[in-house]
Amino acid sequence: MKPGLFARLNRVGAWLALLFLVLPALIAIPVSLTPKRFLSMPKGEYSLRHFEHLFTSPEWLSSFAQSGIIAASTALLATTLGTLCAIGLWRVTSRYSELVRAFLLLPLIIPQIISAMVFYRLLVPIGLIDSYPGLIIAHTVLATPMVLITVSASLANFDPKLEQASRNLGASNWTTMRRVILPSIKPGVIAGALFAFILSWDEIVVTLFISKFTVYTLPRRMWNGIRENTDPTVAAAAVVLIGITLLAFIIYAVVARHRAQTGASEE
Amino acid sequence: MSESATGGLSLTGLTKRFGGFVAVDDVDLEIRRGEFLTLLGPSGSGKTTLLMMIAGFLDITEGDILLDGASIRGVPADKRNFGMVFQGYALFPHMTVRQNVGYALDVRGRPKAEIEARVDEMLELVQLQEFGHRKPGQLSGGQQQRVALARALCFSPPVLLLDEPLGALDKKLRVEVQDQLKDIHRRVGTTFIYVTHDQEEALSMSDRIVIMQNGRIEQLGTPTELYERPRTRFAAGFLGKSNFLDLADGTYALRPEKIDLAPQGAINGDARLSGTIRDITYFGAMQKYMIAVEGREDIEVDVDSWRNPHELSVGQPVDLGWADNAAVKLEKT
Repeated sequence: MKPGLFARLNRVGAWLALLFLVLPALIAIPVSLTPKRFLSMPKGEYSLRHFEHLFTSPEWLSSFAQSGIIAASTALLATTLGTLCAIGLWRVTSRYSELVRAFLLLPLIIPQIISAMVFYRLLVPIGLIDSYPGLIIAHTVLATPMVLITVSASLANFDPKLEQASRNLGASNWTTMRRVILPSIKPGVIAGALFAFILSWDEIVVTLFISKFTVYTLPRRMWNGIRENTDPTVAAAAVVLIGITLLAFIIYAVVARHRAQTGASEE
Repeated sequence: MSESATGGLSLTGLTKRFGGFVAVDDVDLEIRRGEFLTLLGPSGSGKTTLLMMIAGFLDITEGDILLDGASIRGVPADKRNFGMVFQGYALFPHMTVRQNVGYALDVRGRPKAEIEARVDEMLELVQLQEFGHRKPGQLSGGQQQRVALARALCFSPPVLLLDEPLGALDKKLRVEVQDQLKDIHRRVGTTFIYVTHDQEEALSMSDRIVIMQNGRIEQLGTPTELYERPRTRFAAGFLGKSNFLDLADGTYALRPEKIDLAPQGAINGDARLSGTIRDITYFGAMQKYMIAVEGREDIEVDVDSWRNPHELSVGQPVDLGWADNAAVKLEKT
């Protein structure tokens, strides 16, 4: 069948939209290769000096590590809390559960600048400002709703008869949770963990408010790098981030395909 | 039929209300050890609710359930030790067939060797020895049904509950699985409580059938009893087909295959009714005649094709006759 005019326009439109979304990010690649000391497009000459600086500077390396620790902790905490919460709300069918759910999603709806102010006011008196626990708590509050959403979506597709079957076969509530419910909602839990990690990894608004000298995350260093001395190391850092994301995505795609082939391939 | 030592259930005054709606209404029922009992009824008749209360998934509003004389009202579902085959099977999709079948023994902490041996035994019972390492998603509907059965029987429960287990299968396969189920029931000797809305399944497999309607037991008996002597209009119409005749002393049920049909004047014995043929439908083994009788509803007559001696056609006047015991008087409802 020959594709009609509309279908062809549609395809061109899709590619344009994709370019529109991706191009700004890709700009970082040529900029990171500039030989100059400020943000600029390279003109004929290319250099890796900014990458060298990125990987030798203790400040940048420390920021990478700090962001990694905070994002990993956030992902762990938010995934645990969000999953438990989603299962709880799924279990308890009360008219209040939807109210509770809406309440728990508030951090996603409230403008981040407002959240940032609130965290600042809360963390100063309890002495957690500019500390790992402070940032991890704040990021967890922001990321938990993401996990709640992805896990709830998985649970919506979960057949409640599987839970009944497990109970009927003699498994306690806890065993049923561990051996039947959790494995069935694993995709939602993994997606939630990924979202939580990414949210924390590139969070800047709240971070600016509640960190100062001790904690200096990667987004914060990039933000400072641009604001104060237009340092092209920022572009190099961006390229590394894009590379890591791409790599993670490729690994995910390969694993997913492998699983699809070995799994229910005969159906 | 072999009898196991346990598995007798009695339901006394069992009632389930959801708000103002009465799903199961004061049901008294004795279920014998080792019998194949079918709960038959249309959707909304309370049969599944009854099963869910026995399984322990629904709280009892009033009444009690006794297993071999002891109340199980407060016993949670995972402590009741009843096997169950769910509608749609509810196999664990992330486990292999072997893991599914062995699950009940595994969560009871039984030694691995014992579990493996028992799983082998169960897979042999349902003839799925070669499929142990597949996932449920890689099996056909009929195979999944057998895995569900093996899983539910693996821990030798005294009672097996089956909730419309054949609903998802096509008709031909269903008949095949009915025979297998009956055979397995005979071999394991467990009490089977089988929920269905399919009257053929109920008739062909059960030792006894409970016909349910509006949360109550409409009639209880062996398949023959229920088919030959239905007590109410509902029972006569739901299990098999019936013509209803309003006579001077009440309503009678008359099975379509128990009526003699012949051209006017040619019937053996007395003609009880006369009419004309309105419609003939051919089903291969039998033919269905719809007879228009003046002043009554149409009467259905089913005739085996091979012994239909008369060439009958639509519009022809015919006589109807039947034996004295063919028409069953119904209770007033």
